[in-house]
Amino acid sequence: MNKILIIDDDEELCELVSEYLTVEGFETEAVNEGDAGLKRAVSGEYDLAILDVMLPKMNGFEVLRNLRETSKMPVLMLTARGDDMERIVGLEIGADDYLPKPFNPRELVARLRAILRRVHVENEGDGNPEKLKVDDLELSSRSRSARIEGSEVSLTSVEFDLLFALLRNAGSIVKKEELSEKVLERKLSPFDRSLDMHISNLRKKLGPRNDGGERIKTIRSVGYIYTAL
Amino acid sequence: MNLFFKIFLWFLAAIALMVGVVVFLNWTTQSEPAGSRWQGSVRNQMNVFAATAAQIYDSEGEPGLKKFLQTVEDVETVTHLEITDINGKLWMTEGDLAGNYHGVITNALTSGAAELELSTPDTALGAKTFTLGNGQKYVMIVRWERPRATPFFGESRLRYLRFAVLLLIALALCYALARYLSSPIGKLREATQKFASGDLTTRVVGRLGNRHDELGALARDFDEMAERIETLITSQQRLTRDISHELRSPLSRMNVALEIAKQKSTNGNTPVLERIETESKRLNEMISQILTLSKLESGTQVIEKMPVDLNDLVEDVVADADFEAGAKQKAVKIARADRCTTNGNENLLRSAIENVLRNAIRYTEVDTTIKVSLESENGLALIRVRDFGQGVPEDELKNLFRPFYRVGEARERKTGGIGLGLAIAEQAIYAHKGEITATNMPDGLEIVIRLNCEISVAA
Repeated sequence: MNKILIIDDDEELCELVSEYLTVEGFETEAVNEGDAGLKRAVSGEYDLAILDVMLPKMNGFEVLRNLRETSKMPVLMLTARGDDMERIVGLEIGADDYLPKPFNPRELVARLRAILRRVHVENEGDGNPEKLKVDDLELSSRSRSARIEGSEVSLTSVEFDLLFALLRNAGSIVKKEELSEKVLERKLSPFDRSLDMHISNLRKKLGPRNDGGERIKTIRSVGYIYTAL
Repeated sequence: MNLFFKIFLWFLAAIALMVGVVVFLNWTTQSEPAGSRWQGSVRNQMNVFAATAAQIYDSEGEPGLKKFLQTVEDVETVTHLEITDINGKLWMTEGDLAGNYHGVITNALTSGAAELELSTPDTALGAKTFTLGNGQKYVMIVRWERPRATPFFGESRLRYLRFAVLLLIALALCYALARYLSSPIGKLREATQKFASGDLTTRVVGRLGNRHDELGALARDFDEMAERIETLITSQQRLTRDISHELRSPLSRMNVALEIAKQKSTNGNTPVLERIETESKRLNEMISQILTLSKLESGTQVIEKMPVDLNDLVEDVVADADFEAGAKQKAVKIARADRCTTNGNENLLRSAIENVLRNAIRYTEVDTTIKVSLESENGLALIRVRDFGQGVPEDELKNLFRPFYRVGEARERKTGGIGLGLAIAEQAIYAHKGEITATNMPDGLEIVIRLNCEISVAA
């Protein structure tokens, strides 16, 4: 059974989410403060943390930043709807996914499962080729790490999966629908910009190619290509 | 004309006027009251001359007197001098004065005092008797010319220099004064503009220096006002943010509770629960839109702008909208797309176009295709969104962009809008100094967005 840590200052919401997740087959624990939450999170007892941005004392971003110094524990952030900055900052610091509040609990469960499946694959291996190499970029599916000319690039697990999917089809278009369904495990909905956001973070982390060209090209309204030299 | 020049010219005019008045007064006073003073001094001098003449004749004889008369005639204001005996016969001198002016001589002889007769306002004939040691009595007659009034700036060549110096001092004074008065106003204006453009931390007192006049007071008042507005706006922003957060907390809880109810419900309850879910979604959507609108309307949010490829943006949004419209048997197509780049905020522009498109999708008839076109000409980008619905009554067109405005209650409810989309679009376009208008067409409505466009290539 998966253990989920909920860090949110809304006690009643924590109770309700715990009840719902229990029925869905998760084990949960709730903490209402950021610093206490961080302590619980680094204990290593949990498979995943649900982290609210607005927290007293230590806000969600600080908790995440501190957590990422020592742990790769998957984190799903709860952000205020309509606040792009929160979303972008969260993903940049290293959240695996985000959900705007108020959220639909079914969607929460779907996302939790998607993240956990990925972690599972991470641990067990998934039959994908172990290593992928295109030009100077090398991905290892066992350690789930990315290296450019030998130096490691730190990626979140969503970013890793996206890059893996693109790299496996290097030189040809990967459709947005496909990426959304296979990596984010949800149907692509119109006006959803999270794929673009993840890709733009990837671009930032990877930087341009040796010849100055863009690694990941956008094909408007269709998808993306990882361009080989 | 700016204030500096106005003040400068006014002061210059005032100084010029003052100088004019002084010169004029100087001239008039010199000619009038000075006239009597002049006559008095002529009388005095006549007395002195006559007495001296008698003394000199007594001590030095005729040659001495002659010499003295010569000196008198050399006096600048004396033009002629004669001496006659009591019978009017000239003595030692020549001329025709004695012959022509009997009156004054007779007066002098009878009164014994110095007498004057003005032939013109500026020339006087003075007569005074004097008696020699030998008992003989004579009359001295002198024609005086009144000294001309000296011009204000004097008569020497220096007068030009004096005039120039005076003019320079006046100019410098006017300049300093005009600067002193107008520069704080300029600074105040600058600060006001900065404040109006959204920098609420602008203050002026420090920049004006330590002034204790009305302008200094105005600066202090401005700062006080700025302080209050800043507090007001920041607290209002905090309030809307807090309200939205507080409203969302129960909404979040309700969503979770709703799902728990669904987990536990028997099938009969599901439609009602679905309905509750729909309403909660609507509530949430409304809160987000109110927040977006209030942020945009306050205009205090700093909008980050960078070049946005409108062509790409429109294609992108249309693709999404077409997907959404497909579910309702409607479609969205691009009719024309020029290439055009504008300086703006991509998210805001996207939400503006998106909201207009969603509105069009809502109202266009089933099985019709909404036409979108991006035209660029003369540095202007026109985005047209044309739907094929029932349009809007002509007199309600202007209200279309008002928040929560509804054209016909029933129809709106059926279509599921909450009446904020176009208001948000309008504010987003205003934030880009653009324009958005709606026009009725024979078979639908056309909304046109006008934006400034930096680089454009016709398709």
